[in-house]
Order: sequence, then structure tokens, then C-alpha cells
Amino acid sequence: MNSNPTIALVGNPNVGKSTIFNALTGARQHVGNWPGKTVEKKAGTLKLGTQTVTVVDLPGTYSLSAYSLEEQITRDFIVQERPALVVHVVDATNLERNLYLTAQLLDTGTPLLIVLNMLDMAHERQFTIDAIQLSQALDGVPVVEMTASKGKGFDALKRALAGVLLQLRETQQPMELSA
Amino acid sequence: MSISYFPNQRADLPLRYESPVEEAISRLSEALATIPTLAHYSPRWLAIQLLEDDDGLAQQVQAAPGGEAVLHVLAEQRDHLRTHYNDAVDITLTDQRYRFVHQITQRVLTRPDAPDATLSDTIDRIVTHKYLGIPIFLALMWIVFKITADVSAPMLDWVDGVISGPLTNWVVALLSVAGLGGTWVESLAVDGVIAGVGGVLVFVPVLLALYFALALLEDSGYMARAAFVMDRLMRALGLHGKSFLPMIVGFGCNVPAIYATRTLESERDRILTGLLVPFMSCSARLPVYILLAAIFFPAYAGVAVFSMYLLGIIVAILLGVVFKHTLFRSKEQMPFILELPPYRLPTLRGIWTQMWERTASFVRKAWTIILATSLVVWLLIALPVGGQGRFADTELDQSAFATVSGVVAPIFAPLGFGSWESSGALVTGFVAKEVVISTMGQIYGLQEAEEAAAPTTFLEDVSGIATSFVSAVGDTLKSIPLIVGINLFEEEEEAEPTALMGAIEAGFEESSGGHGVLAALAFMVFVLLYTPCMVTAAATRQEFGNVWMWVSIIGQFALAWVVALLVFQGGLLLGLG
Repeated sequence: MNSNPTIALVGNPNVGKSTIFNALTGARQHVGNWPGKTVEKKAGTLKLGTQTVTVVDLPGTYSLSAYSLEEQITRDFIVQERPALVVHVVDATNLERNLYLTAQLLDTGTPLLIVLNMLDMAHERQFTIDAIQLSQALDGVPVVEMTASKGKGFDALKRALAGVLLQLRETQQPMELSA
Repeated sequence: MSISYFPNQRADLPLRYESPVEEAISRLSEALATIPTLAHYSPRWLAIQLLEDDDGLAQQVQAAPGGEAVLHVLAEQRDHLRTHYNDAVDITLTDQRYRFVHQITQRVLTRPDAPDATLSDTIDRIVTHKYLGIPIFLALMWIVFKITADVSAPMLDWVDGVISGPLTNWVVALLSVAGLGGTWVESLAVDGVIAGVGGVLVFVPVLLALYFALALLEDSGYMARAAFVMDRLMRALGLHGKSFLPMIVGFGCNVPAIYATRTLESERDRILTGLLVPFMSCSARLPVYILLAAIFFPAYAGVAVFSMYLLGIIVAILLGVVFKHTLFRSKEQMPFILELPPYRLPTLRGIWTQMWERTASFVRKAWTIILATSLVVWLLIALPVGGQGRFADTELDQSAFATVSGVVAPIFAPLGFGSWESSGALVTGFVAKEVVISTMGQIYGLQEAEEAAAPTTFLEDVSGIATSFVSAVGDTLKSIPLIVGINLFEEEEEAEPTALMGAIEAGFEESSGGHGVLAALAFMVFVLLYTPCMVTAAATRQEFGNVWMWVSIIGQFALAWVVALLVFQGGLLLGLG
């Protein structure tokens, strides 16, 4: 296992995937306030302690049923390339609609981490989201709270990523470790 | 900000469907697990997709050895579920997924009963208004255009002055010191690099202004509204509002616009939008209009340039209507669903990043493909064909460039610009549209009468650059009220035409038999409409295939020829120009 693990950023259009991607990888991917900005997958690298991780920014999609080309790019990447972890970026002001994609991601069986983004705007509208309940309802999928546009929550995200990747490695290769 | 994290037991799946569905899923997954060629898919996921009637995956299964048997199980299970729920299977699954999501949301989200109307909603009530929407959109476009054209003008003059004045002098002086004065090296530097690349770099201030305006539109969230407002108009084109986003992107550069068509659901919409995108006048074409408009329509330069943009849109509309009734007769009208993002106050940093990225890529282009093309053009100009010329010292019309361009020139004769000079510029313009300008700069620059400028010292040059910069900054500030029609300039300062401008004017007068203005207008129209640049063509090929690339290349050339012919010959008939 000398290749770096891959994590993929997935989510509805215009929820801040590219902003998070840029902050994690130091890339300067064009970010704009309209849906459909990213139509191709873009890759960068992230250092988590001693480990190097490949981060892939996927085109935004509302569903994994492939209708448009960008949706297909996203779906194929998840089910064929099988990233080590899918980071699902969720717009906290539109929780219910965003969670539909979560449901479809659960169908794929991919390891999942949820980023609850745009919390500042959710709070402005007096929404409260119980992240602990959410994680429990999804059977332990980690939930990280963020306001990426203001640079808030990145430390928590990196810690969570490191933790999940470590856990995945331990559960997936017990034989190698004992050998 | 915190992490909520529970060690994942995965004893149970978080999302379980009702038991009849789970039953069908497990039957199907068992069958799928026996096919080794499908092992890279998760059987559970594949089973769910098949139940939801995913055509592409069903075909993969059918092609796999043993796939027929699986499809048999599939048909059985689908039938079973359909009778059990008395509804289409995909609807049953979607419904259960929504119920799962709804339950979770109920548990974790608390929100005020009647959320206040946000500021976003209030703004939207105005800008997406049934009647006000389109006028507001057009007014904003006009402002974008004014920012681009008027506010950048003083800086453009300043950069032009620096490059053609002190910078050129310094290069010449340096080469003389090195003992290369008057040799082909000087010609390469001045007539090749400075005339070609410098001629394009002059327009950096214009592009900065354009990118600034586009970044404002994008980051504020208005662009999605514009698409919404334009939906009805786009439907008349046989497209829908979503096609409008790639088109707006096309005003910056057509290449990302072609890729942006991927957001459209149907292939028909993607191809049709992709074919119309090149008619959105990209930033590379702007310098051509600005230069020609300054020469031939000095009093109405702004109107002349803006009308090019309008013409591009009108041609796209007409073509859209024609295609809708011919090649792209629609079977199904896709519904238009677009999420309106909340308005956000654009940040200075965000705007600057966009301006910088795009301008940097323009400058990179200047130092790579435009430089390379300029050098090839210079070489072809320097090479004598017949006559008594020597290398780098040949009569222009005996150069290899004139000879080659002269072959295609007759094609453009009916359009009023059948000289080898303008034909050559159009041919090289396929590389990138700005190259039309750099090639013209190289050709006509050589024809300029040698101006004996009064020798200046290095220090005088430097202080000249600094003082003219200060006054350019002042003029830029003064020009901002022009956006709303307030003119702070005391008198209309008619810029002195440069020798280059004079040479271009003479060239068009000659090739058109004395109707230079009409010929220049036809030329601008031709540059607007003709064959997209090679990078755009390559993008078209990658997205839509070879056939559509050639449709675009040949079709646009023919269209440009016909429209430019109408402009020139029609103008002659009407006795204009």
C-alpha cells in the first residue's frame, strides 16, 4: 500500500466544495457564487501529519442517478474509483434537500464523513442543527461543523479526516498489521 | 465548531428500505455477486440502481457473462415490487429515501415556524420580476460594458505609451550598446516581439476591467438570477435558462464556456449551446474592435463596440431558432430547475483572485502562443520571395508572408478587405483571436514612416512614465461617473491617431476602393463571427466530437463570410460609407 489514500469532496452545487478544496490543498480553483462552477474533477494533495492524502473536488450534484454529464462524472468516481473516504459537504440552510444525496451515498456503501457547512447563515436564520443527533441517526457517520467561507472549522475537519483514515486503515488491513 | 463522532459499528445499515425492497435487493445482490466482471461495483448499490431502472448499468450487466440470468431475476423482482406497491419501482425507492431523510431532519433540525423573508428574497422579488427582470438585466450588462470600455481607457493609453515609447527605445538602445543596432536581431525584437506581444499586452487594463465586472456578477449571485430571467427568451431559442450560464461565461472566454455546457441534462441542449457559445464575443475579440473602432468610428467607438456584442447575441438567437426547427427538433422539453444561491457581498479578495487568475492566464498566453505566432509571422515577413530583398531587410510585399496571405486574399475581396495584410491577420487569428491585432501591428508597424522622436534620457523616460501613470489614474477615477452618463472630462479629448492607426486606415481604404469605414465594419463583424480559435475548437471536439467541431469551424466561417458580405455590399448599395 504505497499509494496515497484518496478523499473525494461531494455535495450539491454551490455548497462550498471548491472553497474547502482550495483551503485543504492550497489550490486556487475558481470559486463562484453560482451552481455548476466545477464541471470537472480536480485533484490536489493534503498533508495530514506525516500522511499525504489526495483530495478530489467533484462536480456538484443533487443526486447520484446520472442525468447530466457532471452528475455522471461524480457518480462514476465514487462507485468505480472507490475513494478511501467521501466527504459530503452539506448546506446547513437546506438540510433536508441535501440529505437526499446522503441517502444515495449510503447506498453506495462508501465510507462517509459529513461536513455541515454554511453554519453562519443557518444561525442567521435561527436554524439549530443537532450534529450529535445527526451523526447518531446516520449510524455513526462523523459530522464536522464548518463555515468554510470564513475559514472556520478547518482544524476540526483535518483532525476528523486523520482520525477516520486511521480507523479505516486499521479495520481494513488487520491481516497485514499482524503479519 | 466541533466534530460529532461515534465509532462506526456498521452493525446495521443506516438506510434500510422497507422489507419487500430489502428482500429484492438481497436477491439481486446475491445474483450479482456471482459475476466476477462486475466485482468492482458494490453489489448492493448495483442492485438498487438496477431496480431504479438505470439503463447504462443494465447494459453493462447484460454484456457480462451470466448477466442474462441476473436480468431475469431483476425483471421478476421489479414485477413483484410494482404489484406490491402499486407504483413504479424507482418512485417507491425515491419515496422511501425521502421518508428516511425527512425523519432525520425532524429529529435534528429546529427552525423558526415562519422564517423571516431574507434580504435575498426581497432583492429577488425585484430583479426576477416578470416585467422588470429583463430591463434590469440589460441595464447591468450596459454597466459591465461601460466599466470595461470607459474606465479602462486611460490606463490602456498609458500602457500603450510605455510600450511603444520608452520600452522600445530602451530595447533599441541596449541592442546598440551590444553592437546589434540595425541588424536582424533588432528587427526581431522590435518588429517581432514588441509589435506582436506588446500589441496584445496593451489591452491588459481592458481585460482587468472586464474580469472585474464579470467577477462581481458571479460572486454576488446575480448570474443565477440572470439565467432565471432569461429562461423565457432562451426557450424561444429552443434552449432553456441553464444554457444561459455558459453563454455569460463565454463573454470572458469561450473555452470554459464550452466545458460549462456539461451542466445541461440533455445532449441536444449541450450541443446546441456549445454551437452558439462562440457567438458570445470573448475578451480576446475585444481588442480588435477597440482598435478598429478607434480608427474608423472615433466619435462612436463605444456604440460600435457594443453593437458587436449585440450582433453576436442576435446571430445566436436567430441560429438557435433555425436549429430548433431543423437539426435539433426537440422531442422533450427539459424542465428548468436552478437553485438561486443567496446573494453575497463579493469580497475584495475573491474578486481580486478571479481578476488576477484570468489576467495571468492571458499574459501567459501572450508569452507562449502569441509570442510563437509573432515569431513565425516575423520570420515569414523577413524572408524575401523574389525581388532583391535580403533577410530581415526585404520589401514587405515581396515577403513570404505577403505571398502566402495573397493566395487567400481574393476570398475576402467581395467583403472589402481582400488585401494580403488583413487576410494574413485573419489566418493567424485562428491561433487566438488577439493575434489578429498582433499580426496587424507587425505588418502595419513596418509600414509606419520612421518617426524621428526627440532623443530622451533614461531618467526623462522614467519620470515620464511615472507622471503619465499618475494622470492616467486620475483620468480613471474621473471616468467612473461615465458609467451613469456623467462626463467629468472638460472637453472631448480626441486621441491623436498614431502612425499605426494611420497605416491601418490607409490599408482598409485601399482594399475597399475608398470605402474604408464599411470595410472595417465588415472586418469587425467577420472577426466576431468567424471560425473559433483553435483552443475553442479543440474544446468543442473534446466535448461533442469531430463532426460538431467541423460544423463549428466551417459553418462559422461561411456564416461570417455571408454576414460580412451583407454589411459591405449592403452598405455600398445604400450609399453608406
